[in-house]
Amino acid sequence: MKKWSILIVLCVVVVIIGYRYIYQDHRDIATETSIYKLTASDISNEFAINPMSSENKYLNKTIEVSGSISDKNPQNITIDGKVFCQFSNKIQTDLKTDQIKIKGRFIGYDDLLEQVKLDQCTIID
Amino acid sequence: MKKLIYIIVLISINTFSQTKFITKSGIVNFEASVPSFEEVAAKNNSATAILDTENGEFAALVLVKGFRFKNALMEEHFNENYAESDKYPKATFKGKIDGFLINKLTDKPSVFYLSGSLTFHGKTKTLEKVAVTISKKEDQINIVGNFTEKASSFDIKIPKIVSSKIANDIEVTFEFLLKSK
Repeated sequence: MKKWSILIVLCVVVVIIGYRYIYQDHRDIATETSIYKLTASDISNEFAINPMSSENKYLNKTIEVSGSISDKNPQNITIDGKVFCQFSNKIQTDLKTDQIKIKGRFIGYDDLLEQVKLDQCTIID
Repeated sequence: MKKLIYIIVLISINTFSQTKFITKSGIVNFEASVPSFEEVAAKNNSATAILDTENGEFAALVLVKGFRFKNALMEEHFNENYAESDKYPKATFKGKIDGFLINKLTDKPSVFYLSGSLTFHGKTKTLEKVAVTISKKEDQINIVGNFTEKASSFDIKIPKIVSSKIANDIEVTFEFLLKSK
């Protein structure tokens, strides 16, 4: 009797762990702490000098970029014409000034437009 | 001296005329689902595309990390085992739209054919005559289309154990709303 109950409990635990593994949550970039904090022109300069090693350095990392807004659309903001920030949803925040600080996940460097691209962005300041 | 200035002004007007249409938030989706198994599909909302309306040349760039799946584990496996996005972070397309003339465009979509080379996972493949529908509304050009490619042509191996759940034929759909720049 005791053996049976142990076996059942073990099975349930394995199923729960398996389920949690297969259906784990996405990364939540908004609550992650930024690994790098820098200005749009700083990161752009790094890519102008060495695009390959800079890409490896930032790829898939959560970073914070500051600067002034050069282009604004319902779901994206471009900082200083150099950093493109994609938002998952429509931007709700009222932007009073041009100066902005955005946190997002670095997804790569766009060499057609020479811009850095971030996704899952949130406005910090 | 005056003549020289006129010439310089003329040249600069020519070279900077508005023939380039650009988007930074193009949509590229792909799907490799097998019926009755969990959907294998991803969406990318941050593709870059440039169209030169003078000669119909078209270029697009997709950052592979930008593909989002519903299932986080599937996204991780896609990046690590299939697309190897740390090694190959970009997918690019470079080509030409046959017989493209900006004056022919209307707000009703018309069919054009796009040919060029697609690079993904370090492999380049030529795409020929992909049907795209193009329409123009005010100063925006909308290009919509789809094509099917085999995962094996880009050297992506699907392990036997999951081969019944992932299709080798991958359907790619795209939509670019380009603005004049």
